Amino acid sequence: MVESKIAEVLKESKEVVDHAMEAVAQTKRVYGARLLMRGLLWVAIYVIARGLLETAIEPRSLRIAIALLPVPFFVWWLWTWMKGVRRMDELERRIELEALAFAFPIAVVLLMTLGLLDLAMPLNPDDWSLRHVWAMMPALYFMGLWRAKRRYQ
Amino acid sequence: MKNRLKVLRAERDWSQADLAERLGVSRQTINAIETEKYDPSLPLALKIGRLFDQCVEKIFVLTD
Repeated sequence: MVESKIAEVLKESKEVVDHAMEAVAQTKRVYGARLLMRGLLWVAIYVIARGLLETAIEPRSLRIAIALLPVPFFVWWLWTWMKGVRRMDELERRIELEALAFAFPIAVVLLMTLGLLDLAMPLNPDDWSLRHVWAMMPALYFMGLWRAKRRYQ
Repeated sequence: MKNRLKVLRAERDWSQADLAERLGVSRQTINAIETEKYDPSLPLALKIGRLFDQCVEKIFVLTD
């Protein structure tokens, strides 16, 4: 009984590892290392910009320039991603679509609810400001991606 | 929709990866078609028919 349970768990673990390996291979096939490298560059620039903006750096025009600094890097990453989607096969594109179809409405509902809650009782900006809340969007996308991939496994 | 893709592939002793390469799709796509979790587009179904030298209706069967 215990042995069969262990065998079952091992089999499931192997399947998870196989799927993860396949996801990595698929990403490599479509994007090479470009998506990862450009994504890391964007995040690094974002972290640097955020760090600088949390200091008392002046003047205001420089602060705005620093705040806008990550945008071109994000656009570069986004362009890489969109080019990769064009290289995907039909099922991979459907999975991307289902991931976005999952993430987008939930993000809208969450932002709307946060807006209403902020009217009902002012939320602490240290916890709920846009500089924190944006991160839920990629998180929701990856949840949607995981969910859609599972559906077709 | 039911299909005979797994049988046809086995007859030729191809792996899912072999078939995926011949069709220019991912192995995941072949697996999803074989397990009937995904119905291929018409161009892909026609490509499959051409690869196995059979008409599409002999490979894919519409069920109620």
